[in-house]
Amino acid sequence: MKTFQILMISIILACGSAALAASSLDITLRAEPENPATPKMGDHLTFSSIITNKGDAPLRGMVAWLSLVRVDPGYEQPVDLEDWSAKKAVSRAVVIPGETFTIRWPMRLIQDGSYRVVISAAAPGVERIVTSPFADFTVLRKKTVESSRILPVAIGVPLLFLLIALWRAAVGKRSQFAKKN
Amino acid sequence: MTPVISIINKESGELVRSGRGLVWLTAIALVLSGFSLLLVGNTELSLLDNAQAVYMMMGTVTALGCLLAVALGSDAVAGERERGTLIPLLVTPLSKDMILTGKMGGLAVSWLIIYLISLPYLWAVGSSGQNLLPAVIYLALLGTPVVLGFGFYALILSARMASVRSALATSLITLIFLGAPLVLGPGLRQSQIGKIFDMVNPFAAALNSFDSVVIDSQPPGDQAFRLAIVLIWLILTAWGARRAMRSLQP
Repeated sequence: MKTFQILMISIILACGSAALAASSLDITLRAEPENPATPKMGDHLTFSSIITNKGDAPLRGMVAWLSLVRVDPGYEQPVDLEDWSAKKAVSRAVVIPGETFTIRWPMRLIQDGSYRVVISAAAPGVERIVTSPFADFTVLRKKTVESSRILPVAIGVPLLFLLIALWRAAVGKRSQFAKKN
Repeated sequence: MTPVISIINKESGELVRSGRGLVWLTAIALVLSGFSLLLVGNTELSLLDNAQAVYMMMGTVTALGCLLAVALGSDAVAGERERGTLIPLLVTPLSKDMILTGKMGGLAVSWLIIYLISLPYLWAVGSSGQNLLPAVIYLALLGTPVVLGFGFYALILSARMASVRSALATSLITLIFLGAPLVLGPGLRQSQIGKIFDMVNPFAAALNSFDSVVIDSQPPGDQAFRLAIVLIWLILTAWGARRAMRSLQP
């Protein structure tokens, strides 16, 4: 019983110290003012996060990363950042107490839908992942490859060569026939 | 008509003006048509925007050009030898440099035709997107040295091996190896070996430049190193082909 009590007290103390350490990092997130008001596929968006070390000890080996999730009903899934040409992570060797720095997160919008972006950070001295508030945005659909343009070309060009071949064959036969007669 | 123009005319005429020539032109058009229709029909590819579709089309066109170059280059010397026309060609007053220029001129004309056939397809997949004009320019700028380089390379093998079959097989294996970036995306080439492979591979240099210009809208200055790689490839293979041609004896 005594062992159990000691264990519980240790867990509570550990959680408390983790929460204390976690609170030493602060992250804000906002969309850049120059972002398009109604972004559509192919546009670029940039988000900025301001990370501050509010604690009184330097944080070593901090890494911050971007997570992007599609939130449309039925399509909830994380997005492959490589497809979106997005910066995946940024690391800092040391963040001294009180230091504030800004990270820009550019991305290229590949698919339409509603998305939620969040920046997370972790450091060896911080027990829990620290996250920024969410930023939501919607990407409007843009027709990527239009069938109305492709079909005439895809059918027309081979057909043109086929017609030329038939025409040449017909001319050849006619000249052969003329030679015979 | 100068002798070099005559050879170019003969080489390209077999491919362009003959009935058999129309077959490969139709085949090229069908490949590009099939590829374009895949872009429309496959909903998975809705992730692709126009720029990516244009980039993929540029890679396909360059690969088709290289394939043709390998076929023509492999036949250039060994084919003449197997048909018994090499010795008559070598005893003509034409210098070996002129024969080489004529052979490669025929390839250049054929590549020009593939390039022209590809233009409506590039327009169809990319006209509502970004960087279509740079795509057209860079396909000519980087695709041409890569394609001609493969032609020269196959000609070297054709002259040295004296067998169309051997030269063609070796050239195709080299093309498949160097053309690996077509199927291995940039993410799969981030290892040290992958980076070195990209640095010395003219095909990868051209593809990376297409990616950089069309998808990432990077400026021409960023392409200087890649352009240098494809030009070095062209110069080295041209030099090798010249040496191989000069070593030929009637």
